[in-house]
Amino acid sequence: MATTDSISDIAAPSVRSSAGLLVLLSDMPQEQFRDILAKLTASFETEDLIIAGPELLQTDSDPALRMVRAAATNGSWILNAADFVNAYQLAVKNEAHGILILGPESHSLGSSALGGLASAVLTGSTDLAVPRYELQPHARLITSAILYPLTRALFGSRVRFPLALDLGLSLRMAERLAVAAHRFNTLNQDDALLWPVNEAAVAGFTINQLDVGPRAQPQGIGNELNTILPQVTGSLFSDIEAKAAFWQRSRPLQTVADLHSPFTPAPPGPSFEAAAEIVPMLQAFRLAYTNLQEIWQLVLPPSSLVGLKRISATDGAGFRMPDGLWVRIVYDFLLAHRLRTINRGHLLGAMIPLYLAWVASHLNIVSSGTEPELHIESVAAAFEADKTYLVSRWRWPDRFNP
Amino acid sequence: MQHVFAMMLQPDPYQASQPLYADNVSMWRHMSGALHQSLYRVVTLLTTILPGVLAFIVSLCVFTAIGMVLSALLRRLLVAARFDDRFARSHGSVAWAPSSSLSDSIARISFWASVLLGLIIGVSAFDAAYATAAAPSSSFLPYFTRIVGAVFLLVAGTLIARFLARSVLIGAVNEQLQYARFLSLGVKWLVLVLTSAMVLDHLQIGGLVVELAFGILFGGIVLTLALAIGLGSRDLVSRSLESHAERSNERSAAPMASPVPGSADPILHI
Repeated sequence: MATTDSISDIAAPSVRSSAGLLVLLSDMPQEQFRDILAKLTASFETEDLIIAGPELLQTDSDPALRMVRAAATNGSWILNAADFVNAYQLAVKNEAHGILILGPESHSLGSSALGGLASAVLTGSTDLAVPRYELQPHARLITSAILYPLTRALFGSRVRFPLALDLGLSLRMAERLAVAAHRFNTLNQDDALLWPVNEAAVAGFTINQLDVGPRAQPQGIGNELNTILPQVTGSLFSDIEAKAAFWQRSRPLQTVADLHSPFTPAPPGPSFEAAAEIVPMLQAFRLAYTNLQEIWQLVLPPSSLVGLKRISATDGAGFRMPDGLWVRIVYDFLLAHRLRTINRGHLLGAMIPLYLAWVASHLNIVSSGTEPELHIESVAAAFEADKTYLVSRWRWPDRFNP
Repeated sequence: MQHVFAMMLQPDPYQASQPLYADNVSMWRHMSGALHQSLYRVVTLLTTILPGVLAFIVSLCVFTAIGMVLSALLRRLLVAARFDDRFARSHGSVAWAPSSSLSDSIARISFWASVLLGLIIGVSAFDAAYATAAAPSSSFLPYFTRIVGAVFLLVAGTLIARFLARSVLIGAVNEQLQYARFLSLGVKWLVLVLTSAMVLDHLQIGGLVVELAFGILFGGIVLTLALAIGLGSRDLVSRSLESHAERSNERSAAPMASPVPGSADPILHI
């Protein structure tokens, strides 16, 4: 995505003093850009659009279209602090009323999806428009296992993809995110992740979730699980720690409006031969169980260790990780992250085999005929039900915990 | 020369004239005198050192008390100024931050700095007293600083060994290497052996023997690891490397996706 500096207008901004929507694009080929532009112009007047991107994108459409350029990207496909600062600065400079940030491969989104995200923030009724992608049943498993349940339980938001690649922002939402991002920029951490849903929940802003249909996944570079899980989970844990005063108070689950039709889970694909993937995951978990006991013992209470011992003896298709056990594992790792029980890099690294065990269990459950979304919803409900455990241990970490 | 021999062969008129009991009394007197002199020297030494010892204790107690007061004052001041919040706002959350809050850490550092200062002043006073008392001015302070340095080395070495051992263990487990624990232990002992050798060398104990022993031990551990990995676990390593290479190829072919044979439904972690 674009970074904050070296922004130069290609078209003279003095021609028009203001426009409706700023569209911030990631680095993409010309064909994809034209595709997106065609979809946007189908929903909006050309005069209402300002297109911002890292490249000198060329268009043969209406010459009245305003385009601004931002500096080269850092190659990241996740929205980071620099993107939000950049988006807000461009929006203020061009007097835009709303912002649409589109990540890599966003050309795969339909014109109604793009129009819906943009309209939601332009009408003024919504501060944060978050897409709800229609994904394959086994996609975005870190989101399903950790990000969504934690965000829902602690921030009371039903947004299914808290780490969305595309976002619609009102100007005040963008300002809030830019302020939050500025802190990272001053520390020279431009690639730090921000959590817009959490920010909006704390600020009391309106969040809307839009059913946008299928979306192609970006082909990231170096996105190995060993790297991405600590990065994403560590960032969320830090954000949760920073907003502890908010989520410790009990509050009802927010009603997040689905502006399109209610979510319908993707139809089950061809028979999923889960065993081929489950076996190495279980091997990884068992290897970790025999080697990482000394580290897990520092983080997990005895009851969770007993639970892990029990499931480590289970094999193949019968392998299940109880929702309650997974909830406690995530909460205890979150607490250890806060208390710095061990080095944070070690902590999040030691969580990877446990996550793989959850994935193996999830795949087994799905292959046994259960809808993936049903299982994910039950996991999220378990996180909500056990929130008191987290709050209690957050406040009194030294209390006896069998 | 002849005169000398003649003198030696001549009986001593004084000795011959003294009775046996007179010899015993004289010896007792000499021994008693020697003992008295020795006792006098020791008591003199003790009386000279005693102020130094007292100065050491007083210095340590006073500076500990000062440290406690300073620590409490700093803690209150920093809490009142909301230093932790301000620091967190301006610097965010950093991975290397200590487990306790920054104001706590500053208060603790000030306390231990005071104690250390008291210790240094006390030892200096003691050393001065000892040096004036003892005829050959033995330098106690330099060796004490060596001991302190050695303790720091030992603590730092142990911490580094534990950190590296955990890093290697977690990294190896996540790479699914079967010999993860063995690697971790090897790294831990390498660092511990290195630390021990450095500590002994710093204390100037053992001299060349320690250096030789360290070289043999360190080399032995490295050789053992190399042999174990190169020969003993040859098949295991080759299998592990093959599977690692296969996984890498799969990842480079489709990042973040684990395609399942016979299925169009890959696993995507994020």
